[in-house]
Formats: sequence, C-alpha cells, structure tokens
Amino acid sequence: MTNRRNFLSGAGALTGAVAAAAVSKVAMAALPEPVLQTKPDTMAPLVPPSGRPYNPVVTLNGWTLPWRMNNGVKEFHLVAEPVVREMAPGFKANLWGYNGQSPGPTIEVVEGDRVRIFVTNKLPEHTSVHWHGQRLPSGMDGVAGLTQPAIRPGKTFVYEFVARRPGTFMYHPHADEMTQMAMGMMGFWVTHPKAEHPLIEKVDRDFVFLLNAYDVEPGSATPKIMTMADFNIWSWNSRIFPGIDSLNVRLNDKVRIRIGNLTMTNHPIHLHGHEFLVTGTDGGPTPKSSRHYEVTTDVAVGQMRQIDFLADEEGDWAFHCHKSHHTMNAMGHDVPTMIGLDHKDVARQISSLVPDYMVMGERGMADMAEMEMPVPDNTARMMTGEGPFGSVEMGGMFSVVKVRRDQKAGDYANPGWFKHPPGTVAYEFDGAIPEPARGRHSGAAAMPAQNMPAKNIEVQIRKPVADHGKH
Amino acid sequence: MKRALRSTAVAAAAVFLAGCASVGIDEALKDTNTHAQRFTGGNLALSRTPEQRDRRAELAQQLLATPLSQDDAVQLALTNSPAVQALMAQSWVDIAAANQTSRLPNPIFTFERMRLNSELELGRLLSFGLVDLILLPQRLSISRSQAHQAKLQLTGAVVDHVTQVRQAWVRAVAAQQSLHYAEQVNTSAQASAELARRMQRIGNFSKLQRARQQVFYADATTQLASARHATTAAREELIRALGLDDAQAAKLALPARLPDLPKIPREAKEVAATATEQRLDVQLARAQLDLAGQSQGISLLSTFIDVEAGARRDTVFDNAEGSKSNRRGFELDIRLPLFDGGSAQRDALNAQSLAAANRYDATVRGASSQLREGYSAYRTAYDIAKHYRDEIVPLRQAMADENVLRYNGMLIGVFELLAEARDQIAAVTNAINAQQQFWQADAALAASVMGKPTATGAAMASSGSEGASTGAAH
Ligand SMILES: [Cu+2]
Repeated sequence: MTNRRNFLSGAGALTGAVAAAAVSKVAMAALPEPVLQTKPDTMAPLVPPSGRPYNPVVTLNGWTLPWRMNNGVKEFHLVAEPVVREMAPGFKANLWGYNGQSPGPTIEVVEGDRVRIFVTNKLPEHTSVHWHGQRLPSGMDGVAGLTQPAIRPGKTFVYEFVARRPGTFMYHPHADEMTQMAMGMMGFWVTHPKAEHPLIEKVDRDFVFLLNAYDVEPGSATPKIMTMADFNIWSWNSRIFPGIDSLNVRLNDKVRIRIGNLTMTNHPIHLHGHEFLVTGTDGGPTPKSSRHYEVTTDVAVGQMRQIDFLADEEGDWAFHCHKSHHTMNAMGHDVPTMIGLDHKDVARQISSLVPDYMVMGERGMADMAEMEMPVPDNTARMMTGEGPFGSVEMGGMFSVVKVRRDQKAGDYANPGWFKHPPGTVAYEFDGAIPEPARGRHSGAAAMPAQNMPAKNIEVQIRKPVADHGKH
Repeated sequence: MKRALRSTAVAAAAVFLAGCASVGIDEALKDTNTHAQRFTGGNLALSRTPEQRDRRAELAQQLLATPLSQDDAVQLALTNSPAVQALMAQSWVDIAAANQTSRLPNPIFTFERMRLNSELELGRLLSFGLVDLILLPQRLSISRSQAHQAKLQLTGAVVDHVTQVRQAWVRAVAAQQSLHYAEQVNTSAQASAELARRMQRIGNFSKLQRARQQVFYADATTQLASARHATTAAREELIRALGLDDAQAAKLALPARLPDLPKIPREAKEVAATATEQRLDVQLARAQLDLAGQSQGISLLSTFIDVEAGARRDTVFDNAEGSKSNRRGFELDIRLPLFDGGSAQRDALNAQSLAAANRYDATVRGASSQLREGYSAYRTAYDIAKHYRDEIVPLRQAMADENVLRYNGMLIGVFELLAEARDQIAAVTNAINAQQQFWQADAALAASVMGKPTATGAAMASSGSEGASTGAAH
C-alpha cells in the first residue's frame, strides 16, 4: 500500500535535495521513520493499527500518514519537499508537497489524542505548518514570525498538541504562504470523535479531498506562483479530470464527503442524483436545525464542508464544481468565439501558411474533445475523458460517484461503467418534429426604454450546421 | 649623306614596328583574362566585326535560355554589355596613345623656293629631332609603362563592372525571394481580415476588433506594393549591368533562391595572403611612380637641350647663265637655355615624382587595411546569415509548430496563429536579407582581393540586422 523507505538513503535519492545530508543522523535517530508515497492513486483506508479505534477516511487520489505510538503520543513525520505530481495521465507538475506527493498525506487522529508531529524541511526555503482550524496552544499554530521561527531548510521542528475537537481540518504552510500554497503545499486532517457524538453520525464511507488550483503554462510543468485569478488547472487533491478517481460506493451506503478549499475562489460543488446535508464546517458539526437538503454547496475560500447523503440511487452520478470553467483543463481565455463562422474557404488560404491548420470552433468547443489533435507536451486537453457513450468533454474538478448494488462493503475498487436497466437510458426520437410556435413581441418592461439603438438589430439564431464534414 | 639618311629611315621604321608589336588591345585583353581569371573566366573579348557581334548575340541568347546563375550573369555581361565593350574600346584608345609615345617624331621636310633676278633657288631640308633619337630607349620604356597602366586600368574597370553585376544579381534574386514572402504575409493578413469581416457579420466581433485585423491587411498591402517595386528596381538594375536590350530583358529569368551559404567561410589568412604587390591598385600606383621617374629625365632633357639635325640640299638655277648648281650641307638647331633654364619644369617634375611616390606609399598602406575591413564585412555577413539560418529561422519554425499545438488545444485562437505566422515569415525575410548581404560582401571581398575595393562591402554588413519587418507588429 505505501512504500516505506529508509529516510536517509531513499528520500535523499528520491528528491536529490540538499536536506538529506543537512539533517544529522543523530537528530534523525529520535524521529519516526518518514513514509513516502510514490503513486498518486487512491489508497485504501488505513485501519488504525494502534491507539484508539475509529472509522478511517479515504483520501481521493491520496493516502493517510502512518504513525507510531510513543508513550501514548501519536507521532507523525511530515517531510516538506519538492515532488513531481502526476495531475492526470500524461500531465505531470513540479510541485512542492509532503512525503512524496502533493497534497501531503491525510492525518487522522481521535478526539483527545496527544499528537506530536515532526516536520522536516527539505525545501530550498524556510517553511512552517499551520494546523488550520485546530484548537491548540498559540505557539503551535505554525505562523512563522508570529508564533515561531521559520523552519530553515534542513531543519526539523516538532509540533505537539491535543486534538481537542472532532472535525474536519487541513494543514498548510504559513511562511511564504502564497508561493508554497501555489506550489501545492497542503494536506487534510480529520479528527474522529472518540465516542458516539449526537451530531456526528456513523457512515459507511468517508471521502476527503482538498480543492486546489494551479497556473501551469501549457507545455511547462511548474506552476506560476504569482497568479491570483487566471488559473488554468482546477484540481481536487492536485488531480484533474480524467485523472480524478471515482468515488465508488455500495447501494444504500451512508456516504460522507469532506471538502476543503485552498484555492483563491469559491466552488459550488454539485452532486447528481441525490440530495445531501451539510453536516459539518470548519467549525465542527452543524446543528441539526440548520441542515437542509441541497444538491450544490458552495465551498468558499479557506472553508471546509462535510456533506452526508444516502447513496440510494444506483448508477454513475456526476460530481463536480458547478463553475463550468472549473470543469475544463488548460484553455486560452482570449480565444475568440468562432461559433457560426463559416471559413472553410479561408482555411485553405491559412493552410498554405500554416500547413497543419484545422478548422475548429465553428460549431462550438466540442470539436476540441472530438478531434484529439496533438497539443503541447505535458498539457492536459481542455476537455476530454471517454465515457461509455462517448467523450465526457470535461476537465478539472469533475468526478463520478458510482453507486452499485454489488459493491462489497469496504471495497473501494472501481466497478466499471454502470449497466443501465433496459429502458432507462435517454434515446433518440424518430418521429416527425412539428415547427414550434414562437412569440415575436418584445415584452413588457418596468420602465420605458430610452436611448435605444435606432435600428432594430436582427440577432441570428445559429442552428447546427448539418454537413460539418471532416477536417 | 644619302646612305646616312637611308639608314636613319630604316632605324625609324624598325622602332615603329617594335612599338606596334609591343602592346596591342588583344594582348591587353589576354592579360586581363589571365590576371582576372576569377572575374572574366577568360571570356573578355572585344568584338570588332559583324561576325563577332553575331556570335556575341548568339551566346547571350543561350545564356538567357535558362534561369541565369550568378556566374552566367557575369559571362552575359562580358559578352553582351555595350558598356563592357566600351570599356575595352576605351582601353584600346589608351593603349594606342601610349604606343604613340614610343615612336620617333616624323622627320620634317622643308622646301624653299626663292627667286633673285634670274636666279631660282630650290631649298630642301630633311630634319629630325636629335634628342628624340637619343632618348628612344627611354621613350620605349615609357610607352610600355603607359600601356601597362592602361591594361591595369582595363582590368580594374572589368573587375568593377563584374562586381556590380554580381551584386546586382544578388539584389535582384533576393528581392524576388523576399517578394514571395511579402505575398505570404499579405495572404495571412488577408485571411485575418476576411475572418474578422465574417466574425463581425455574424456578431462575434465588434467593429473595433474587426478594424484591428483589417489594419494589418492594409499595412501588408502597402508593404507588398513596396516589395513589388523593390523587386522591379533590383531587376532593372541587373538588366542595366548586363546591358540587355528590351527583347533580352523580357527573356531574363532568375533562379528562385540565392545560393546556399558556403559550408565554411573564406579564411582570413587566405585572404591576407594576397601579396599586396599583386593588388591592382598597388600595381597601378607602382606604374604611375615608374612613369613619373622615367618621364622626369626625358622631359627635362628635351626641354633643356632641343637639338634638331637636318640635311640640306639646295639647287640654284641661273636663267641668265643657264646653269644649275647644287649645294649640300647640314643644319643643327639648338635651343639656348637663356630664359628658361628648366628650373620651373624641374620643380614640377620633382613634385610629380614626389606625389607619385607618396601615392604609392599610401596605396600600399591602405591596401591591407581595406582588405582587413573587407574581410570583416564578409565574415560578419557570413556569421549573421549563418546565425539566421541555424538559430533564428529554426527557432521561429519551432515557435510556429508550438503555436499550432496551442491552437489545437484551443489555447490560442486563429488570429493569434496568423499573427505568429506573419512573425515567422518576417524572420525568414530577415534571413534572406542576411543571405543577400553575405553574397554582396562576398563579391566585394573578391574585388578587394584583386585590389579594386568597392564601398558596398563595408556598408552592407553594418546594416545586417535591419530587414523587412514585414507586418510583425501586432
Ligand atoms: Cu470551481
């Protein structure tokens, strides 16, 4: 499941960073052995081998960090380091992360646990770790300069506190924060309740992931860290569709999904086929009186949302951010709209200058997903993903919740495409289509219009062109 | 005395013949063909007869039948150009004038008829300049110097003309090549403008967006017009250098591309190895210096002592006596240096020699410097052209390829793609300019090695980076 590596030999060789030599062996001797992850796959839940029992979570395209018990204290070892994260098949990014991946491993503890976290800095610059949302001594809050000195490259710091309240949290640097978050430094934290909690129901499956965004120039691999708004990679746990694993559940499972937002904009997360309740926020479980069913919940910047639902509808259900740009991969934001433009004749002229020129966009952007023409190296196509009925034409923050009758309890494997019962799939109508009647008046208005254009501008309705042909 | 006169006449005839045989235009052409083999290919010939002229026309016809290479252009100019024929004819004039120097002045025959009462006297005097005769060897040598100088001048003029032809050819081919790319830029701009027009018509573009694309097209159209004229101008310049008539001009076809750059440039050492003494300009200065030296003695002497010798035979008829008697004798005319002791003349000649000596020095010193400059111009042009070929054009090509990929990924739109295509074309045009400058510098350096430096060579390389920035602005 996880690759245990000797820190001194393996990790140093893995990253080639300065730090392995800089951290003294004597100092390392007292540390728990750090565990590194080399694959971006969704790892099976880590059933607690020691300490208080709990129901483990599953980190989407991630994993949970193993610990060791030391005189009743749970000891973790995070190693901040540069990593190469596969964000989708064929697209890798140079990120900064923890223990081999970005985001770092999920830390799972139980309410009341005493937790000691060793943080070794193998980055080229100083860092710190802030435990977002936790109750803890101020000096453990991880704000470099304010509550502690920054962790210099090659140094290891120790954080120690009691996980006082159950809930959904995250961790991220609070030193050169903009750069380090833009580079992917972050991780999930779950504190499980130590006993039955009136507001925290037991669930069969508990998924967690962080929303994050990057600006990677198509054809390059390292994010631009100065970008504030114009991101082109919208990811869940530093993965983009079609690289995000599906959430596979058994019919009638109680399912919980916890989502944290570390991007610079909000994300209305939307689930098809079910209604869910927002049962928790950064502040803890929500009071039952405040819960109401929704199919979309907005996860604002820096927030966590915990949603619960009963997976009582079989099928493949889309699960995605509802900002449609966020379900696209890298695209040009200044590309003019070509819809309705007929330019096959001009295209011949263009081909004489640009021999590989193809006509695209006259009908819409779907050409893009259909044509599969070569794109710059290490670039995820804007929209892609092959479903059982054709291209899904999505990217970014998109995945599928797969509800199956025959999924075994505790089995998170992908069951494949849903087999629809006969007569339950939309089909083509083959009768005659009558011309609909259309109203032509401009309608009433609250106030009379002034300074309107002199001429009534005729807006053309663009009907699909029948013979788009091959290009 | 009869015998003496006869022997003098024979001697004079011998000298006359010798002078005639020593240097003629044919020999001069042969010399030029040998000396400037690189330039003439041995084909410089003056046509004097209708047959020769016909043969020339026929050769020109053959050369014009296929696209004209640079070497063919030179041959065509040598064969066909009236200007080149004029150069040779003029050289013939100069050589003939030089030969004149080597000849003895014709003897003077003086005839007198005098009557006194019954006496009639007929006087006959055959006289010639004695100094001329004495100085005959010097005069011969001067004549040779002058003829040599005339030959050098002919070679120089031919080298000049051939260099002009080569450079005009390079400009004409390059202009034609650039025109092709200006047309491509125009096509790209036209496509952008047409797409923008349609985009506005269907409501996807505002007037402003359309105008932005339209303005590229408007610019590209003016640039295309200028490129068309530049091509015509360069072609006509070549036509003039080749000396084509209208019918021939209509037949002139040029290759589509300039020749590739040579794999390796000429070595500085190889160029510098051209012995300064062999250079045309140095030889010319040397000849002028020699001439000044020789002339000095002879002119001074002839001014100072002018001796004319003559044989006289007078016949006297006495009508009264009915008798006839002959008188014989000789005469010597000697100019007395009373008023002009020759000092002014001497000063002038000294000054002339001094000037010639200094001119020679200056030429020798300038020659190697000019060669170094010419080489630098050549080498810079080579390096820049190579840099364009090996670096800039491939980079632009790679950028164009990447842009197609970005277009495929809808990361850029068609207008950006076309703008990039225009940039790529502009880079190719600059590369052609660089290549043109190399070939011009090459022709200039070749002339410089011969010792006939042309100003073009140095001027060209400095403008190496400047080029037709065809529609790159966007
Ligand atoms: Cu979103």
